[in-house]
Amino acid sequence: MSLPPQIRVLQRGWLSSNNILFYDEDGCTLVDSGYVAHAAQTLLLLQHALEGKPLARLINTHCHSDHMGGNAAVQRAYGCRIGVPVGEAPAIAAWDDATLMLSYTGQSAERFGVDDTICAGERLKLGGLDWEALAAPGHDPYALMFYQAEERILISGDALWQNGFGLIFSELVGQAGAFAETRSTLEVISRLDIATVIPGHGAPFGSVGRSLQSAFQRLDAYEREPEKLARHALKVMLSFSLMIHGRIELAALPRFLAERPIYADINQRFLNLPQAELCEYLVSDLARAGALKIEQGWLVAAA
Amino acid sequence: MDPASGYCEGCRRSLEEIACWSQYCAAEKRAVLALLPARNAKP
Repeated sequence: MSLPPQIRVLQRGWLSSNNILFYDEDGCTLVDSGYVAHAAQTLLLLQHALEGKPLARLINTHCHSDHMGGNAAVQRAYGCRIGVPVGEAPAIAAWDDATLMLSYTGQSAERFGVDDTICAGERLKLGGLDWEALAAPGHDPYALMFYQAEERILISGDALWQNGFGLIFSELVGQAGAFAETRSTLEVISRLDIATVIPGHGAPFGSVGRSLQSAFQRLDAYEREPEKLARHALKVMLSFSLMIHGRIELAALPRFLAERPIYADINQRFLNLPQAELCEYLVSDLARAGALKIEQGWLVAAA
Repeated sequence: MDPASGYCEGCRRSLEEIACWSQYCAAEKRAVLALLPARNAKP
């Protein structure tokens, strides 16, 4: 997938979002900073890609821990300004753990301050090109995407990946309406002329029609049977936890889940499985999918 | 990154390989992937 030379995608994994670097003569801009545990690698990659150029600004598509966890480290290293979607700013400024869903999910991030806010409809100069910020509610109610019309590039965050989109957290935690928001965001994307999507996770891709079609189908299935979304979400959350911790003792899994309230909340709201059954389901399904292995009583993330 | 080998502890790619990954063509990616099993064998 070829992109203009003033855009560099640092493709990361699932625990850390991609980092997208824009080269401008008066200072570079980074979009998203990855998960806090990967901050050292983020700084090394950034230093490598910057080749001595100054980093003036860091902006976030949204403020989940896998996108903003490295903000503080990047700001410490470069003294850059940090801009977040305007709707995220109050929770970041107050470092409101509940709204940021940190303890709730068992995820971490390092506190940082907001210098600038970005609104939907705002125009930004990135890599010498004009980009428009677009509202992308669904996965996160305040998320933004960035669109470049001449080069037909969409930075989609977690609103659209090549095969799917980020968990619809609001529905999962009992705030109805996020299915409709997710649909409207996919419809916004489908009305754009797009050559390349730079997603929050995974490689940049060009076949946006195919990705949108499967995203709409997935959304239809979740709306018909929200327990499908719930089962998927619990597995994604546990996989994410495994990436954070490396391994989890199988015998301690019930306590591990109990310490992270999102698991019980989703289970109670959608599935109502006894705790032991929930553990058994998650482990066996993730093992079958090749996402984890059991080694001497420990759950280990499959390579 | 593993300070001894210089490879990522997760994926066993070098900093250069991770930084340039999205610019590699499919053949270049395959060439790097082919190197990884040997790096895994020598942690």
